[in-house]
Amino acid sequence: MQLDIRDIAKDFGATAALHGVDLTIRSGELIALLGPSGSGKTTLLRIIAGLEFPTRGQVFFGPDDASHRSVQERNVGFVFQHYALFRHMTVYDNIAFGLRVRPSATRPGEAEIRKKVETLLDLVQLPEYGKRFPAQLSGGQRQRIALARALAIEPKVLLLDEPFGALDARVRKDLRRWLRELHDRTGHTTVFVTHDQDEAMELADRVVVMSQGRIEQLGTPDDIYDRPATPFVYDFIGEAFRVPVEVSGGAVLFEGNRLDLPAQGVRDGRATLFVRPENVSLAPPADGLLPAQVEILRRAGARRRAEVALGAGAIRIEADYGAGVEVALKQPVGVAIREAGIFPAA
Amino acid sequence: MVDTAPAVAPSLAAVPPSRRVAPTTEPRLVRGVLIAITATFLSVFLLFPLGVVFVEAFRNGTAGFLSALADPQAQSAIRLTLLVAAIAVPCNIVFGVAAAWAVAKFEFRGKTLLVSLIDLPFSVSPVVAGLVYVLLLGSNTLIGGWLQESFGLRVIFAVPGIVLATIFVTFPFVARELIPLMEQQGNGDEEAALSLGASGLQTFWRTTLPNVKWALLYGVLLCNARAMGEFGAVAVLSGKLRGQTVTMPLHIELAYNEYASVSAFSVAALLAGLALVTLVVKTFLEWKYADHIAGTGRH
Repeated sequence: MQLDIRDIAKDFGATAALHGVDLTIRSGELIALLGPSGSGKTTLLRIIAGLEFPTRGQVFFGPDDASHRSVQERNVGFVFQHYALFRHMTVYDNIAFGLRVRPSATRPGEAEIRKKVETLLDLVQLPEYGKRFPAQLSGGQRQRIALARALAIEPKVLLLDEPFGALDARVRKDLRRWLRELHDRTGHTTVFVTHDQDEAMELADRVVVMSQGRIEQLGTPDDIYDRPATPFVYDFIGEAFRVPVEVSGGAVLFEGNRLDLPAQGVRDGRATLFVRPENVSLAPPADGLLPAQVEILRRAGARRRAEVALGAGAIRIEADYGAGVEVALKQPVGVAIREAGIFPAA
Repeated sequence: MVDTAPAVAPSLAAVPPSRRVAPTTEPRLVRGVLIAITATFLSVFLLFPLGVVFVEAFRNGTAGFLSALADPQAQSAIRLTLLVAAIAVPCNIVFGVAAAWAVAKFEFRGKTLLVSLIDLPFSVSPVVAGLVYVLLLGSNTLIGGWLQESFGLRVIFAVPGIVLATIFVTFPFVARELIPLMEQQGNGDEEAALSLGASGLQTFWRTTLPNVKWALLYGVLLCNARAMGEFGAVAVLSGKLRGQTVTMPLHIELAYNEYASVSAFSVAALLAGLALVTLVVKTFLEWKYADHIAGTGRH
């Protein structure tokens, strides 16, 4: 089921949560809506589900305009952030809920429901848990039951709100892999919301980076990380340090030193360079390298990291360097920026 | 003995015993005084009078007690009280659930005002409430006259008036129990049910109601106890026609004023007994379903 989101805007009183968002989600795709809190990602997910109605714009399920359909009519599987399992029902009854509330004409018999629930319990690898109550399950188990309950209604799309937000790191990693496998097996068009970039990058086919009610960038995890489209994405995904530069006749200048970087269509004038630590090389001072001084050295896991002050010393960036490079505290060093994003200064 | 005590664990011995208790725990003397004050007040103002009620009721033995209750007027009072409670309590369940639902699940203008209004019967004297109904619905008023002429329905000094007064007084009980719980639970379960295809009504019966059933039951018990015991507002509206508009509390007062103390205290003992049963049922439910009740708060 392909989803088309056309010019969706949502106001909550005077504050706008979304300003005209357009997005096409392909059939069978696993998509992450990634952004900080307040970016509108959860609002967008709830609008797709029909739990919230937009101030403007349309949502298409395949060729059909679903904008005016109620949440019941949309037939979406929604997994809530805190699971929202019915605490007075057993796991079995929770999963069977969506089938039992159907009108009698389409309601399956109890035998058929039993078969379905058992299949789903197997699918989420909790076959022995039907008789338990939600309070007797761990967080990760509740998450999987919530997913089984959502899948029971054979939804056209699966929507997950911060699916791993309330779990500890270890369970989160396992469940992430498990969800990806489940998606590949069942082939549901799946949209999930997260504020965790690692989760989005690892799990999703494509990532939608959102900020302040707008889509900043839509692309594969590689696109997002290697070719951030906006300063926001540079800051939000991975690490980047800002260097103020001057663009003049296609050349990029830092304090009068020409950098070996293309201006990428940025007009002459002041601009900002976004530099990732892994794209910076350190070497003994030499012509053609930016003069700098080593200020701090530290070790972070497998990486060696140096914080260097560029040129006159007001601007500091960080650089990863290999074992063969000689650097010493408070000593001059040559810096080469191999790759960087450049945007006109705001 | 002190001198020969082994010198082990000097660090423990260095701490005076009085310091080993939790910092929030008061010294033994303070605790004792607080407990004594509480126990004294409970005994003097609650247990002792309650005991007197039962002692007086059984002054002429069990036979006297039973014959007082078998009296036609007492029988009529008991029946009327049960009837009034049977009408007022369901009305307040409907109102309480509707009000709690509206307050907890929607945002609307004037919500704070509505919540304060629900509490009004707690702050208004029941006698004042009774008088207001007399002024509004008495047979020589516009509405009251119209009701009597068109439908032959007498409200004041009749059973409908007593029911009205009881509903007014017991208004807040169910709503007050449900509102905080429903506000705390939020809309999550309802949204989940709707997303799974349930209709609004199915959502209410299968998720909303089960989530608040213990609070609802508790509210109903309190509401019922108050409905049976209400005196002030009912006294104004009843007219005290014996055998017709006299409820149990009114019967007790009438009998007592006529020095029929066994009769008065017998019915009083029955009323107090109902209250005690309510209390026991409530405590039993809280004990038996403690996990469940705690679990309905969050999970």
